[in-house]
Amino acid sequence: MVSSSDSLGNGFEPKILVFACNWCSYAGADLAGVSRLQMPPNCRVVRVMCSARVRPEFVITALSKGLDGVLVLGCHPGDCHYSEGNYFTRRRGLLLRKLLEYVGIEPERFQVRWVSASEGAKFAETVERVTEQIRALGPNRPRSEVLPTEPGDK
Amino acid sequence: MPKTRVGVFVCHCGNNIGGVVRVPDVVEYARTLPNVTYAEDNLYTCSEEGLSSIKDQIAKEGLNRIVVASCTPRTHEPLFKKACEEAGLNKYLFEFVNIREHCSWVHMHDPAMATQKAKELVRMGVAKAVHLEPQEEFESDVFPAALVIGGGVAGMSAALALANQGIQVHLVEREQELGGLIRGVQTLFPTEQDTDELLRPLAERVKAHPQISVFLGSEVESVSGFIGDFDVSVRTDGEVEGLRVGTIVVATGAEELKPVGLYRYGELPNVVTQLEFEEQFKSGGDVPRSVAIINCVGARIPQRTYCGRFCCATAIKNAIWMMERDPEARVYVLHRDVMAYGVEIEEFYQRAMELGVRFLRYDVESPPEVLGEDRAKAVKVQHQLMGKEVTLPVDMVVLTTPLVARDDNGKLSKMLKVPLGSEGFFLEAHLKLRPIEFSTDGVYVCGAARYPSNIPESVSQAYAAAAKASIPIREGLVRVEAITAVCDERTCSACGNCVEACPFGAVELQQGRFGRTAYVNTALCKGCGCCVAACPSGAMQQRGFSDRQVLSMIGALAEVMTGGVE
Amino acid sequence: METQSVLVIGGGIAGIQASIDLANMGFEVYLVEETPSIGGRMAQLDKTFPTNDCAMCILAPKMIECAGHERVHLLTYCDVVELDGTAGDFRVTVRRKPRYVDVEKCTGCGDCAQKCPRRVPDEFNVGLAKRKAAYLPFPQAVPRKMTIDAQSCLYLTKGRCRVCEETCQAGAIDFEQQEELVELEVGAIVLATGFDPFDPGSLKEYGYGGIDNVITGLEYERLICASGPTGGHLKRPSDGQVPRVIAFIQCVGSRDVNYQPYCSSVCCMHATKEAILANEHYPELKSFIFYTDMRAVGKQFQEYIIRAREEYGVGYIRSRPGKITENEETGNPVVWYDETIYSDAGDPERRVASMEVDLVVLCQALVPHSVHAETAEKLGLILDGSGFVSIGDRLFRPVDTSVPGIFACGFCQGPQDIPDSVIQASAAAARVAEILAKKSKELEHA
Repeated sequence: MVSSSDSLGNGFEPKILVFACNWCSYAGADLAGVSRLQMPPNCRVVRVMCSARVRPEFVITALSKGLDGVLVLGCHPGDCHYSEGNYFTRRRGLLLRKLLEYVGIEPERFQVRWVSASEGAKFAETVERVTEQIRALGPNRPRSEVLPTEPGDK
Repeated sequence: MPKTRVGVFVCHCGNNIGGVVRVPDVVEYARTLPNVTYAEDNLYTCSEEGLSSIKDQIAKEGLNRIVVASCTPRTHEPLFKKACEEAGLNKYLFEFVNIREHCSWVHMHDPAMATQKAKELVRMGVAKAVHLEPQEEFESDVFPAALVIGGGVAGMSAALALANQGIQVHLVEREQELGGLIRGVQTLFPTEQDTDELLRPLAERVKAHPQISVFLGSEVESVSGFIGDFDVSVRTDGEVEGLRVGTIVVATGAEELKPVGLYRYGELPNVVTQLEFEEQFKSGGDVPRSVAIINCVGARIPQRTYCGRFCCATAIKNAIWMMERDPEARVYVLHRDVMAYGVEIEEFYQRAMELGVRFLRYDVESPPEVLGEDRAKAVKVQHQLMGKEVTLPVDMVVLTTPLVARDDNGKLSKMLKVPLGSEGFFLEAHLKLRPIEFSTDGVYVCGAARYPSNIPESVSQAYAAAAKASIPIREGLVRVEAITAVCDERTCSACGNCVEACPFGAVELQQGRFGRTAYVNTALCKGCGCCVAACPSGAMQQRGFSDRQVLSMIGALAEVMTGGVE
Repeated sequence: METQSVLVIGGGIAGIQASIDLANMGFEVYLVEETPSIGGRMAQLDKTFPTNDCAMCILAPKMIECAGHERVHLLTYCDVVELDGTAGDFRVTVRRKPRYVDVEKCTGCGDCAQKCPRRVPDEFNVGLAKRKAAYLPFPQAVPRKMTIDAQSCLYLTKGRCRVCEETCQAGAIDFEQQEELVELEVGAIVLATGFDPFDPGSLKEYGYGGIDNVITGLEYERLICASGPTGGHLKRPSDGQVPRVIAFIQCVGSRDVNYQPYCSSVCCMHATKEAILANEHYPELKSFIFYTDMRAVGKQFQEYIIRAREEYGVGYIRSRPGKITENEETGNPVVWYDETIYSDAGDPERRVASMEVDLVVLCQALVPHSVHAETAEKLGLILDGSGFVSIGDRLFRPVDTSVPGIFACGFCQGPQDIPDSVIQASAAAARVAEILAKKSKELEHA
């Protein structure tokens, strides 16, 4: 499988899904880009208006389909553009980690972090750190158990 | 059902993307994706050429979904959406993929991986685009009238500012006359003019204005509706009248704290508040020979932490007033910081000192003591800067107290569905950038109802509230970006999670065709998605960010790992 | 001729807010800003008190909203040169300074800046960093268009280089560009020219300019800012070390008969914020604020001070230091002050104390923006003794200047913080609407 090794063909490269909220973390990611802060290429960002849009189903689906990690980024508590959204994110995050543990998925594969629009460096650091953490966990078990299927198969 | 025909436009952005990502490869890849009918690359998709190409291809190829892979939607999305619209395609059938800030710029040393990532991001974008649906932006009419609650300086100024724009205003005042709190003040800082001289013409202008209908001795009983369409009932002498308005300004002011239990107020007859001092002496009584003014009474203490803002200025004003009437008078101001901020107040403070007013600093830990049996005779205080206790013989003690929130703020806050802050004053949407708006659209606040403020500040706030309150009325309608939530009544079980989750009170449970179900007031919906994620049945969805759309992106990414990417 | 257009001079938060409100009210707005980007002083802040919001995070959406509004016409890198007329009917000449970049073609990609060989002090980072002659003032600049600074550019001053031209794939560099004059007809004008920091170099006793580790409040703000020249690491000038003790000195040049007699209003809160940020970044760091009166009069301001004291261990010392010297060995500044508050009664002896710290931050006075006086002259405005725009009827017309039809909001008319500036900006919009409604009524009945 192409995606299980980097362009040099060495080792395992995790594939990480990132949800970033429009007002803070997505802007922080943009700033990291504008500042040309280099980071590992393992993350794929999905934009949502608020981190509170992320329902547990997204995280569970992603992990059960074999993605190696899910990172949800939001505004710092107290700074949510919609006042309270990130409080929901925080609470859901805590519960969801317990659930993942219960079903046998390493809870570290799912992380919630706060990145503000001016924290380009923090976004880059977060991507680095989370990529390394998930790389150290190895491939997400469901993936290595999944047999190759037809492309486009959901 | 027309087949979904997706057009993909991948931008080089000069060298910015093209220098790292192999753009032609991404275009090739895009062509292999399901539902993609057309794909091309552009040097600058945002240029005239790029935009024209998008429009041309929509026509030529019958494209009904557009995906642009370039920079960031935060700056360029409106531009591309407009291009789609101009070509006759609903602008919500457009999806943006970021392969510059999130890809080429941050993986400059790994072109192979950057290209791979760009392909995957485009795959995700196309998957979502397929599930996008055309949307119409919600528009709701605005009834061309405004309600101002409160007829003090702030309320009157707001009413005039609105009426002078030609807007119909209903001004509701609880007392029998206009003027509010400052009716009790004799002279105004910094001009030292007679209050009545300034207040009377203002009230006259309000009453005479053809666009303002004044309700005196009246109170707002109930409010229902939302921005553009509020139904208000006003009670006057037992009779209730119904008003219809588009926007509401809260200008209900505040009250002076009567510090019962502090400094023997209420016990000794010559211990009074600043307002009482104004009423007793500035309308013609004899000026007391020696006076101690104690500042921060009931303010900046653990039970009430805030600062009354303009009370230092009031104390200075009255101290100067006394010295000017009797240069031999002994006036002491006992303070814990002199809040003479800005230009005029600091000037005033200097002037007071030059006239001979003595300022003594005391510590909150060792407050002054008022001495005397049946009258206040002296004030004993630990002078913080001299380091010793002094006893000041006085004829009178004036207590400078802050404004406090009105008791019935709670009632009004529930009526209008707006919050109160920890001090009991109305809480604005954002302390820095939205100081006179509420999170609830269509309702605004100004003056002491929001926080103690002096007259220039209250009047500025009133004008500001009028500006904000006039916008929906001048526009004539409220238009909402079509990323709002919508509930499918057929699958809603009325659990109420969404109602609770919504930070803006935009969701309600209502009787509908399928029984009791959730209903989103689109005029109030901000498109955050809190309610959507809280919905256990998936009945609540967000336009442009539906579960199906997001899950398709996740699926598309996951497929890459099983199917491989060439 | 009567028009429903408004000119806003100054693209800081006040100018931006006034423009948005006016545009939403249906007016065409011309927003003139002398620097290449809107944003003003707020863009230079790291966080804002008392919420400790990230300044750029709450400013950027407003900047985008302003620039993206169909009725707002941004005229950045421009200034006002002529003004004529009366309320309802002003004729204004605006000068478009040449950027030497074709804004239609420029995509703001930054390639030219990357290649430009000429480095000069960066104004946005108050001289603490360098920028290129071809530059974007800050990453979130609006409009996102490059500018070539004629004073620094090698080609424009010495006839060499032109690397930017070779590099630009969009062909946007245009060295032939000339200054342009734009004629506008507007019904009203809103002034929002803001403030400048006062240079504390004249206060020789404080050693600014001589002692390395004595810096200004604005310099500190850039150092502590995550997107500033040191990435938010508080590195003191002399040796790059993180300070363990910081002294903030209030009223530097304010409340001072020799400099500005007025109170700059925001510095007490500003210093408290900076002290909180220092402790957030470095929990071991101790800050002392030397103040005269702790002016925290706004909503949630007293609570902020209490938090600073209790949660962040900020020390407040009531004193106006007389002198700052330097420990030459370590580069540590030494603050000399009178202890004005005595905890024991009966001890009136004035004690002189000194505190050796690692860094001194001078909370300097804030003065009306430098070119403000020229603008005021052109507009025929009266200024007060300190240079602020004079407001005739402070009580009931708090944003009306001495010229009917011209309004002033924000710091240009008096020291004030962001919420007050934003309120005055909206207030100016309301006044404009009143004036212009009256004018059209007059014309109707004429």
